[in-house]
Amino acid sequence: MKVSKNELMAALKKAFEGLGFQPGDYYDAADMVVWLETHGFDGFDRLQAVLTYLNTTGPVHADLVQEDEHHSMLDGKGTSILLCGSEAVDLISSQVMKGSWAALELTNCYNRTFILQRIVKAARRNLAFIAYWRQSDYCVKVSIAPGAELPEYQTFTMTGEFDSQSLRIFSGTDMAVIERQFAKELEFGVFLETYSTEEMQACYSDSLERGIEIDEALWHTLDELVARILVESTDSSRDGAGGS
Amino acid sequence: MHKDPHSPANSSDESKIKLLPLRPASQVMQLERLGSFHQSRLSFMRTLVRRMVAENWQINSPIFDLDDQGYGTVVYEVEAKYGTFSYVLFSHYLDSENRNDRVIANQWDLTMALCEGAVDAEQLEFLRANVPKQEAGRVDSRVLVLSRANRSARTFEYVVDKLAQGHQPDVDVIAEVGYLYRTTAAYGSGKLGMADWEKVRTKHRDFARPFAAEMFTCYMLRHFSMQQADYLAAQRGPETAVTLHQDIKRYLGIGNSTGLGMAPFLINHPLLINQWIEMRETALATAVVASEVGVDKATMARLDMATERVIQHLGEIITADERQKNSNVVVREELQALHLWLQEQAAELAITHYVWADLIQYAEQHWHIETQEVINTMLIELYPDLVDGLEEQMGSEESQQVTPEMSVSDLLAIIEDKYDWALAIDFSKHESMGAFWYRSQEKMEPRLGQTNIDMGMEKEMPLAVGRRVRECYDLLQHYNKTCPEQNVAHFIMQCPNYSGIVARIQTMAQSRYGDIRENLVHSDVLPIYLLRCKLSFFGVSKFDPRSRLWVRNTMFQGAPLISDFGSANADDWQFPVKPVIRPL
Repeated sequence: MKVSKNELMAALKKAFEGLGFQPGDYYDAADMVVWLETHGFDGFDRLQAVLTYLNTTGPVHADLVQEDEHHSMLDGKGTSILLCGSEAVDLISSQVMKGSWAALELTNCYNRTFILQRIVKAARRNLAFIAYWRQSDYCVKVSIAPGAELPEYQTFTMTGEFDSQSLRIFSGTDMAVIERQFAKELEFGVFLETYSTEEMQACYSDSLERGIEIDEALWHTLDELVARILVESTDSSRDGAGGS
Repeated sequence: MHKDPHSPANSSDESKIKLLPLRPASQVMQLERLGSFHQSRLSFMRTLVRRMVAENWQINSPIFDLDDQGYGTVVYEVEAKYGTFSYVLFSHYLDSENRNDRVIANQWDLTMALCEGAVDAEQLEFLRANVPKQEAGRVDSRVLVLSRANRSARTFEYVVDKLAQGHQPDVDVIAEVGYLYRTTAAYGSGKLGMADWEKVRTKHRDFARPFAAEMFTCYMLRHFSMQQADYLAAQRGPETAVTLHQDIKRYLGIGNSTGLGMAPFLINHPLLINQWIEMRETALATAVVASEVGVDKATMARLDMATERVIQHLGEIITADERQKNSNVVVREELQALHLWLQEQAAELAITHYVWADLIQYAEQHWHIETQEVINTMLIELYPDLVDGLEEQMGSEESQQVTPEMSVSDLLAIIEDKYDWALAIDFSKHESMGAFWYRSQEKMEPRLGQTNIDMGMEKEMPLAVGRRVRECYDLLQHYNKTCPEQNVAHFIMQCPNYSGIVARIQTMAQSRYGDIRENLVHSDVLPIYLLRCKLSFFGVSKFDPRSRLWVRNTMFQGAPLISDFGSANADDWQFPVKPVIRPL
């Protein structure tokens, strides 16, 4: 079935609310899923992969374990980027605002592709970002220039030691600052493939024009989660709605 | 050349807007004042009608397939300036016992869809299978708006019978109701698989203003209602029937009942509401500045005529609501005083600098809040050339964003400055948290419950902005004492559940008007003010509150007909009054 972007946003916000997310979190999480799905990054598949976890544990946020002027480390405690991605990007953004550049490592976290939407949104504040993580046997690198609408997405072969559930984010007032400060950390293996901004834009335009295809079973699952925040209707509750 | 600091804002020039004498948020954002607003030139029905008339939209009906009872299918094809659209309508038999205006209803007299482009046979069948089901059906992204309507039991048959007998209906009977059909919902913005607002805004320039497509759907319903009445009269009295008099047609609107469903919108779209209010206030300030060196006689006379019309309009409203009834009486009396003032002191007023500022100030000091807002909307009406350009600025990017580098002490200062109204509420009092908002299992209808009495408190909707700000402020104060050097990003790491309200506070602090200044979970909260505020921006008239939770009103009453499109002077329909019908 097809749904619209607005409809999907509304359903996801309520579904995440049904999972116990608070307002800031459910707005951000819905934004992340919708952005990925409408730009060709399989937002629904990634959402489905994490729903069981979210349903079991309830919302878990990351902890700040170490910080200096330009570096910070967060422990994701096994949670999803849907819940800790905003905190991480906000923290590194605040450090860049103060000191031009910063690096952040988020350990023990899942669904790292969702970070794409957070850095796209943060880049509107004229910040540049590079993030990378290990995805099975290759490395995913995403980057966005200050004020850019869409990120670059590339994959490379693995080089060196790389924790399998970590995410590294680098940010600066411009891309050159990041590349200069973190030249050593930003060495990658052999380039494998890219997903172009043109493809992202085409996917988004198609989503707007024709709607977004969603599996009926997933839509039904979202409905069930939404049902958790609904209150049983009674004669007296009908009086609390107004109407003739 | 020295720039005049009071120059009117008839363009998108932000710097000009900033220099206008805008009313402060502390005054404008009080819920009672928002609930006293009336239709203005910037209201969505007004701007839509102006556009259709000026651009002479062509509307015809390639399919008008009704039986002798008026049931069947009608397709209107709409040639607007930039595109073609189809308005598809299904007219159904509905037992009067099943006629229910509530959102929880599942049958209606009419169901409609506004679609992009022309509709072919295949799409028409798809629509026929889904549109009558409304929320229980699914449509696709070719559909912009889905809507439904019910007949007025009081007027529809009466009008058809009169016409069939060769007579015009009594205007007094028409005036009691004001419409032949009531719309009970108009869904857009991507609901039920429809086109996203972003698609409408970027692809369809004809409807690229907030709620333009929804308002058009209601306008077309009005057109159909009169066409159907004429059609049925001709069926019943082929030898005797007459068509409805043009002036009566113009006086007919579309009925509307609005309940709590509309209320959360105002809280969940604060940047959009801020934008609407800022444009309305800019229009008012522009009118004030236009009176810098006095007002010419013609303008004074137009205000006087408008005053007389409002007095008549309010006198023709029938409402059982005591508060509204009393308010209408008081407003009429005070407008009578304004009328005398304009007549007796016209010569002096004409040369008084900033005469409208004096009038506004006098009204604020001496007259009812509804009188004040009626006067404000009349003043805006006087300067179409100066204010109409603001209609293009009623949209807003709605993203709320945390400013993580802000210091906690700066955030505390913002709350003390912009949310002083929230900090002034004593939430330890039972009545301050005596109500809660929730969504019902029935079509997710928003409802208002009483704390500790009604079920569902644990599933409360997050509409208590003031309370949430208070909680956040208390936590921030504590955090600032223990970690005085930290910023908002650190606070959110510590208190992640407050990221939403922090984003809202920081975002709204950058807007001119900010949040609505009311505790929406107080026992005595009057949600009807929220509804009236939004309805005033839609452009409805004749508010008839049925309780503190819902209000009846009329859409497009007095508006030009499709046959008026292309003609000049078709925009003068604010505060409609009963027509005087002379024999044809």
